[in-house]
Amino acid sequence: MRHNIFRLLLFSGLAVLGAGLFRTQVLTGRYYRELSEKNRIRLIPLEAPRGQVFDRKGNLAATNRPSYDVVATPEDVTPEVFGRLVKLLHLTEKQIRRNMSASREYPFTPAVIKEDIPLEQVFRMEEHRPELPGVSIQMSSIRYYPYKETASHLIGYIGKINGDEYRRFDRERFGMSSLVGRAGIEKIFDSELRGWRGGRQIEVDARGELIRKLSEKLPEPGKDLTLTVDLELQKKIMELVKGKTASVAIMDLSTEGLLAMASSPAFDPNVFVSPAQGKERMRLLKDPVSPMIDRGVSSTYPPGSVFKVVTALAALELGKITPNTRFFCPGIFRLGAGARPFHCWQKEGHGSLDLYQAIERSCNVYFYNLGSRLSPDDIARYAREMGLGKSLQIETTHLVSGLVPTSDWKKEKLHEKWYQGETLSFAIGQGYLLVSPLQILRLTAMIAKEGKRVEPTLVVRDFDKATEVPQIAIKEENLKIIKRAMLQVVESEYGTGQLARVDLGKMAAKTGTAQSPPEDPHSWMTGFFPYEKPEIAFVVFVEHGGPGGITAAHVVKEMIQIWRQLNAPKVG
Amino acid sequence: MLPKWVKDIYWPLVFSMLGLILVGVLFVHSASHYSAEDFAAKQLIWALAGFVAFFVVAIIGYRTFLGTSYLLYGIGLALLVWVMVAGDMRLGAQRWIHLGAFALQPSEFAKLATVMVLANFLGSHHSWEKEFRTVVTAAGIVFLPFILIIKQPDLGTSLLFVAMILALLFLWGIRYRYLIATALLGLVGAPFLWTFLKEYQKKRILVFLNPNLDPLGAGYTAVQSRIAVGSGGLFGKGYLAGTQTQLQFVPEHHTDFIFCVIGEEWGFAGSLLLLALYGFLFHAAFQVMEKTTDVKAKLLVGGILAVFFAQVFINIGMSFGLMPITGLTLPLISYGGSSFVATCISLGLILSIYKERSIF
Repeated sequence: MRHNIFRLLLFSGLAVLGAGLFRTQVLTGRYYRELSEKNRIRLIPLEAPRGQVFDRKGNLAATNRPSYDVVATPEDVTPEVFGRLVKLLHLTEKQIRRNMSASREYPFTPAVIKEDIPLEQVFRMEEHRPELPGVSIQMSSIRYYPYKETASHLIGYIGKINGDEYRRFDRERFGMSSLVGRAGIEKIFDSELRGWRGGRQIEVDARGELIRKLSEKLPEPGKDLTLTVDLELQKKIMELVKGKTASVAIMDLSTEGLLAMASSPAFDPNVFVSPAQGKERMRLLKDPVSPMIDRGVSSTYPPGSVFKVVTALAALELGKITPNTRFFCPGIFRLGAGARPFHCWQKEGHGSLDLYQAIERSCNVYFYNLGSRLSPDDIARYAREMGLGKSLQIETTHLVSGLVPTSDWKKEKLHEKWYQGETLSFAIGQGYLLVSPLQILRLTAMIAKEGKRVEPTLVVRDFDKATEVPQIAIKEENLKIIKRAMLQVVESEYGTGQLARVDLGKMAAKTGTAQSPPEDPHSWMTGFFPYEKPEIAFVVFVEHGGPGGITAAHVVKEMIQIWRQLNAPKVG
Repeated sequence: MLPKWVKDIYWPLVFSMLGLILVGVLFVHSASHYSAEDFAAKQLIWALAGFVAFFVVAIIGYRTFLGTSYLLYGIGLALLVWVMVAGDMRLGAQRWIHLGAFALQPSEFAKLATVMVLANFLGSHHSWEKEFRTVVTAAGIVFLPFILIIKQPDLGTSLLFVAMILALLFLWGIRYRYLIATALLGLVGAPFLWTFLKEYQKKRILVFLNPNLDPLGAGYTAVQSRIAVGSGGLFGKGYLAGTQTQLQFVPEHHTDFIFCVIGEEWGFAGSLLLLALYGFLFHAAFQVMEKTTDVKAKLLVGGILAVFFAQVFINIGMSFGLMPITGLTLPLISYGGSSFVATCISLGLILSIYKERSIF
């Protein structure tokens, strides 16, 4: 009984298939035959507009501009079209044929012959449309960076997808000619900025003209982003350091967002998106001054005297000194009788100094004395606690973590034991130690916030203010000592950073002049402002810029004034 | 007097199988002759391997397979787990089109082993004793491979397991109210299973309901394959003369979408011929089912038939829009090693049941 029901079910299933096929093949066969004749179905992939990037004040950092592209469906193109296109587009026939035979995602989809043609050419093409079967103008969008060089490193740029990526990535988001973030914000937030592709299936007549839309899915545009950066501020900063190789960054201490992150020399990211600028791209990539490198996060340098605050903190924390501990600086320091002499930058010496004065005047001998009382691993521990040697979490690409040497590191990498003389160099920020300017900014911000952990960010997001901010393992009282010493660097008559003094308020900072023979030393200055209620922290670094107290301090002064101008406190 | 081995072979089964394989080789050739690799020669080798497997299984006898079915089932599950662990690494690179070559193999094996275990298990329990417990256990036996395969993700093959359990419980003699309850349970469980599906699987089902959702992806394939089948008309465009499939509008046309080539080149006449061949094969299998007195054997044939039929129905159905698009092969026709051989093995089991029909 049940067997018969089962059998009946199976054979009725076959009958259903037969009936369905009868309907499809016999009843509607002619319609489908027509559709297939010269396959009349065309597929037009529609790329999603990429999300825009705004700065904190609503200025556009990255946007899209329309581009008119000449496209052709090779299956619909007749031979005489080529000659006409050569004349209209100023391309050789070979180029046109090559573009037309470039691989496509689906058969019978248009191939791009020439991107981004000027408007007058669009009109001319439209006039000649009747003589150009299979050819049409399609509107697409091209990425545009209105601020050009101003924030090139942090915004980054986009580039064409490669074959390998195309195979690996999700087809709903990436097509064969999709653009993918290659650096900076464009790369890190590619998934957010990128929308979802759409497409259109249309039925066309024998001449490739639209008869009707069969189905359509509109693309979903990508999400917009807002940066913490103030592009007008950054633009003025870029002007300040024009011609120099430099990194300048300012951080809003309340949100940890960067108000500026400038690196010079820079490049125009538009060069990477507009198809006509291949030569310019090659020039950039080969330029000996490497404008593509973000000096703030992708290169490392010795920090020089800026590092003395870390040595001082290590000595304070380990109880080696109190702020009132004095050492005498005769301009020279030896580890023992007859040992190699270490010099202070001021040959005639600083005389007797306490810690405040030592930081204020950046006395090397004072810190040689601390170095001789500390092990390299002690210093390294505090350096790491302050974030040196550790990568930043900032939303950009090509981050480097720098190097905080330890005795173990030296044994492992250089197969040599650590010499005590090297601790002296370490104590004043020379030797193996390497940091990036943004790491120094993070360190300064932690001092300004008296031990709160800090991670600079570039993108505005809603973060939970209720969560407890973790504290670094350094006593608040010791950080307060350092803050006061940094105030003296700028505000005291003997301070090395007094050139940066502004009359808007009191500033606390530390200068650095990092030796880099045979060339001029690197120029550093980092600090926070105003001293009493810090609003911002900053770092200025000029590669081979000379003394920190001159080159960098000069930039700091101007920069603070510009910042104040752009963010004048509301007068109640 | 005919020699015994000639009497042992059930010729209708062999002939219908041969007919289908012949059509398969012809159209694997048509679907791939212009491309870099003609799969027809390879398919001939697979056909040979399939026939060897068919007869070897028949000689070994289905009783041996039923006797070791729990072991085979265990191996099948282990393979599925293994493919899930090792397969994950390729997930980024493998799209669903290519997934078959890797993922199908263990699931084909598991499919066979599960039919055998179920036939064996249900065959050794009466439907009038502890019915509920038996049904729940049987459902559990199917559920394990089902969930592993749906996670793979291979929606099509996992659906075959549903067809299998429903048919076997029905043939076993489950009370109708239990069958209805099971079906209802399935309906209630469907939203839960929905969460198991990958994004693209959900999308394909949604696209089936509304083809406009995805004109570039599944919607495109659905429309193009329907055009291919429909444009065949009554008598087709002629062998090797299909334009839709030859121009590669339809993807995977030597494997999952081979019916498009048949429909386009041989038209409705060819489609009917194919359906007739399948009908003939089903009829032969039903004959074997009726001749045997072994309950387990009856169930085994029923399970194999159910899976075979479901595969044919889904595959042909998806080519003209009756069913959603899933990655299933057309049995004995599609190019493909593991699924082809697995089908031959299952038919070998049917042959052996015929051979041993009169053991009592």
